[in-house]
Amino acid sequence: MITNRHPLDALGDPTRRQIFELLRSGPRSVGELAAGLPVSRPAVSQHLRVLEEVGLVTHQRSGTRNVYELDSGGVTVLRDWVDGFWSDALARFKATAERKGE
Amino acid sequence: MNDALVIEVVRKSVTVDCAVEEAFRIFTADATSWWPVDGHSLQGSEVREVVFEPKVGGEIYEIAHSGERGHWATVLEWEPPGRLVLAWEVSPGVMGTEVEVRFRPEDDGTRVELEHRGWENAVAGAVDKRDSYDTGWGHVLGRYADRV
Repeated sequence: MITNRHPLDALGDPTRRQIFELLRSGPRSVGELAAGLPVSRPAVSQHLRVLEEVGLVTHQRSGTRNVYELDSGGVTVLRDWVDGFWSDALARFKATAERKGE
Repeated sequence: MNDALVIEVVRKSVTVDCAVEEAFRIFTADATSWWPVDGHSLQGSEVREVVFEPKVGGEIYEIAHSGERGHWATVLEWEPPGRLVLAWEVSPGVMGTEVEVRFRPEDDGTRVELEHRGWENAVAGAVDKRDSYDTGWGHVLGRYADRV
């Protein structure tokens, strides 16, 4: 069952991908992010919460502002999934090659 | 580039009990015979064929029973029977990673070494493609959700 807690799923939303892209150039406050997007500041906060839940972004308090930045954790989950995938695929390859390649 | 986004390369190897030429041929031309499409393709058990176009610039893709194609990768280097490098699309829109596979003789068989690298680029690529692939992510997730 798919949950909204996987990084790929969180990035399935175009606005969240835009936020992620903006954060690639460095940490930003909610206000700075909202200024560059066609959505309201509360909506940006909501998207940031989803991104933070799956480990793609993290935030720090700076005075009265929350400043968000990228967290490598989410991309690492993707990488780890692919690691397991290749283990599985190569095991299948080996079994087939040894059956066919004699 | 954010320094936090440097991610370990995926490295795998396996030895198979057949000649290098045969291992390369089965890995590529005969991929349909071994690729675990149920968990690892765009159209799951609907896939009837996995195609490796054997040339630089060639495409790796799946074909479903319906005839629908799904793109997986593009060939960057093609050096049979020893080596190939692919520009791999982890899921629709997740571009920027590369897969290199090397085949070399070992004892009476073949050692196959696979490296999947470039993870720092993967999410950037996804962002660049945001307008084209709004539906792809969830679809692919459905295929592997029970593995995560």
